[in-house]
Amino acid sequence: MAKQSIVPFGPQHPVLPEPVHLDLVLEDEVVVKAVPSIGFVHRGLEKLVETKDYKDYVYIAERVCGICSFGHGMGYCQCLEKIMNIEIPRRAAYLRTIWMEMSRVHSHLLWLGLLADAMGFESLFMQCWRLREKILDMFDATTGGRIIFSVNCVGGVLKDMDTGMLLRLVDTINGMEQELRPIAEAFLRDVSVGTRLHGLGLLKADQARLMGAVGPMLRASGVAYDTRLLGYAAYDDLDFEPITATEGDSFARCEVRINEIYQSFNLIRQAVDKIPEGPISVPVKGNPNGEHFMRIEQPRGEAIYYVKANGTKFVERFRLRTPTTSNIPPMLDMLKGCQLADVPLLILTIDPCISCTER
Amino acid sequence: MAEWKFLPFAQTALKNLFSAPVTTGYPIEPAQYPDRMRGHVAICIEDCISCGLCARSCPPGALTVDRKAGTWTINRFDCVQCGNCVNVCPKKCLSIVPGYTQPDVTKHSETFIRPQQPAQAAKPGAKPVNDASKCVYCTLCAKKCPQEAITVDRAAKSWTLDGEKCVGCGLCASSCPKKCLTMQ
Repeated sequence: MAKQSIVPFGPQHPVLPEPVHLDLVLEDEVVVKAVPSIGFVHRGLEKLVETKDYKDYVYIAERVCGICSFGHGMGYCQCLEKIMNIEIPRRAAYLRTIWMEMSRVHSHLLWLGLLADAMGFESLFMQCWRLREKILDMFDATTGGRIIFSVNCVGGVLKDMDTGMLLRLVDTINGMEQELRPIAEAFLRDVSVGTRLHGLGLLKADQARLMGAVGPMLRASGVAYDTRLLGYAAYDDLDFEPITATEGDSFARCEVRINEIYQSFNLIRQAVDKIPEGPISVPVKGNPNGEHFMRIEQPRGEAIYYVKANGTKFVERFRLRTPTTSNIPPMLDMLKGCQLADVPLLILTIDPCISCTER
Repeated sequence: MAEWKFLPFAQTALKNLFSAPVTTGYPIEPAQYPDRMRGHVAICIEDCISCGLCARSCPPGALTVDRKAGTWTINRFDCVQCGNCVNVCPKKCLSIVPGYTQPDVTKHSETFIRPQQPAQAAKPGAKPVNDASKCVYCTLCAKKCPQEAITVDRAAKSWTLDGEKCVGCGLCASSCPKKCLTMQ
């Protein structure tokens, strides 16, 4: 047996925008074991629910993460709406769906840029983020914020999109779809990108299920599992199938995310076509009493929300399990046997969000 | 296996090399903000009744309302521009407008002083009082109350006020079609 050495990786690393620390046990250049430690950016956001009015906490819930912010606000609101038996207007459900899919486009383009950056493909990274600016501008025009949207409320949404704005959104995504094609071509056809990603971090379907992988990570291993099929918000009215790939390597994860961007464009167009007229929220009176548990598909995978209320204006417990929490065990499994130089890229392929994970 | 290509990105890279930059030359070129942009909170202090609902609802606690002195204070450096204060304000005197405030090296607050007391509801501690002889128990006051402090039972012909919840905003009195509510 070769001599083992331990190399600390992170929490500050040029490739990772967020602080995760791994102790990598190496034999020569090969990783034999990875021991994670997290907790560098814990902010105690779940605990705050006990001291804030349940309606005001929406603004804190969406600040759990800068990328999945819309989904976190929506998950929290949907739990309370179920507890209080509130049926939100269909227009509000459609608006939530449109913003959720815009979030997915924004998150996946961010990830593609980070992947290109990790591979050293700087011009591709710039191009991805340049494209992402267009969706951020649409967020700014429709919600008033580029990253934190503050449009969810218990009982619906706070802002509406008129017909002109919806048409402008469709025009924007049609233009983005055209601009995405050369970028997708570079990721999926370029020989240097292919050489770097093919066969890297192999995760078979059985192993992915066993280790609890979620989201694009699981779908890239060939498992057609997407919680949007549960039909929350307006997803029950929209026609779509989960995007999957069979290889289970880093290239497959990249392919799934690129195809999911196209799918999100399609879902936005469907939602704009079908969105009904009507109010965007219902008045909410009284305090919640009861508990509810629900799942939604965030860009990074399945997220679980649990709210327990006791009849006062302060919620007793809010629990959030983020997709990255589920994807860390399969990531550790993937790291075994890989080269030290591949570790940053492999960590990136799970699309880690440490701020979400630690809350 | 995909069909591999050499340098498929070269065309885009070359196009970008000879095209104009996509970024704006801020601050020389002024930034264009969309109408809905949540830049900073503004107040029309003349309409404020110092009910304090904004300060109670502010998630980061950036607002302070002094009812006696008639002041409204915002710490711009704590404010996260969520817009909750604007949504809860019963008098709609708060708004969130495009454009950022100036940065600084130290945190400081901005205080607005109300020029004069509004006629009816601004008296500190004023609460609605119902004249039962005129009241038709229409429940409009209860529906308007932002604090859910008023309970009206039409069948039992009762009107009750939760004094602890009431912030004295006067919305009930202004919405009453029979003018049977007065702020005292």
